Amino acid sequence: MNESARMIVVLTVIAMVSGGLLAAVYDWTSGVIAENQLKEMESAVFAVLPGAVRIELLDRGPAELVEDDPKASKETKQAANQVFVGYNEQGAPVGYAFVGEGNGYGGIIRIMVGVSEAEGKILNLTVLSHSETPGLGSRIEDAGFRNQFVGKTLSDPIAVGRDINALSGATISSRAVTEAVRRGLEQASAVYERSR
Amino acid sequence: MRGVIKEFFNGLWKENPTFRIQIGLCPVLAVTTSAMNGIGMGLATTFVLTCSNILVSLLRKVIPDKVRIPCYIIVIATFSTIVDLVMNAFTPDLHRVLGIFIPLIVVNCILMGRAEAYASKMPVLHSALDGLGMGLGFTWALTLIGAIRELLGKGSIFDRAVTAEGAATFGMFSLPPGAFITLGVLLALMNMINARLRKAS
Repeated sequence: MNESARMIVVLTVIAMVSGGLLAAVYDWTSGVIAENQLKEMESAVFAVLPGAVRIELLDRGPAELVEDDPKASKETKQAANQVFVGYNEQGAPVGYAFVGEGNGYGGIIRIMVGVSEAEGKILNLTVLSHSETPGLGSRIEDAGFRNQFVGKTLSDPIAVGRDINALSGATISSRAVTEAVRRGLEQASAVYERSR
Repeated sequence: MRGVIKEFFNGLWKENPTFRIQIGLCPVLAVTTSAMNGIGMGLATTFVLTCSNILVSLLRKVIPDKVRIPCYIIVIATFSTIVDLVMNAFTPDLHRVLGIFIPLIVVNCILMGRAEAYASKMPVLHSALDGLGMGLGFTWALTLIGAIRELLGKGSIFDRAVTAEGAATFGMFSLPPGAFITLGVLLALMNMINARLRKAS
């Protein structure tokens, strides 16, 4: 076998074996990865809806509200179709939860917000993912900042400088979270009302 | 057998990739915001490095000289992707933090360096031990830097608070400048220790 033929054969065989191996590993792990992501989402929903023992995904129907928002990422467009409804032990709805998204300093900030059934008040808020500066913007995860949103309803302004205090040194991150809460609340409450 | 064991300890101190050869510094600076990140990145690199060293050594007589670099890259990229997928499936928390650095193991020059300079010329056992030693040398270096930065930047080690509640921390050590300062000081210390050792012997 001459040299160039040998080069082609060796490289091809190595690439084929590698491809086969990767296909097998992907096949083995993809199910577990998808399950993890679902579990993570579910535990976030339970965290923001105290009292809920069972959650259900509300089909939002056509996501026309987010579809024309050029700022929304692919994940939001998927998540925008998702409003989760939580039920208590008696089977009565305790409220709903939604995923909100805002443009932070280091990238997109995704949050999960729980809203009560009775008064439409925000019950709790968790940060799902962010890439803000550690020590500055990352403090959006601190309870002191997040708790400012608890108890707010659609009729509140929910704006930095009015009823929300920005974190010092992290105005952009604070605005992004506030924006995500307000926009998400408007959209999700409309969807939730329509579903009832 | 003595000689083989020596290959393993080589990477731990005398030719430590971070402190002595100073290669693969990008992940060293980027991921070491906490001790846990350091261990995670180090062990992931150790796994890929050992596996790729073994495979490159096994194939060293089969791979034609002219296409050796693409072959090494395929081998390394395959193992990196396997680590990426397995970590995503079984250690999702760690994967969320290290996510973007795992695929970058492919272009970490430690891997290409060891494949080209060592594994392509040496028998399998030597190469495996060399990979393991280099990987663990990389791991302890990353863990040490991570622990120092976590202690100064957040007041904790391995996510366990060690300073008093509300004690002042240097947030800068969690940020890139802290990585450069920590690495610089440690390099100076390493040089000092080695100079002393040389004088003593």
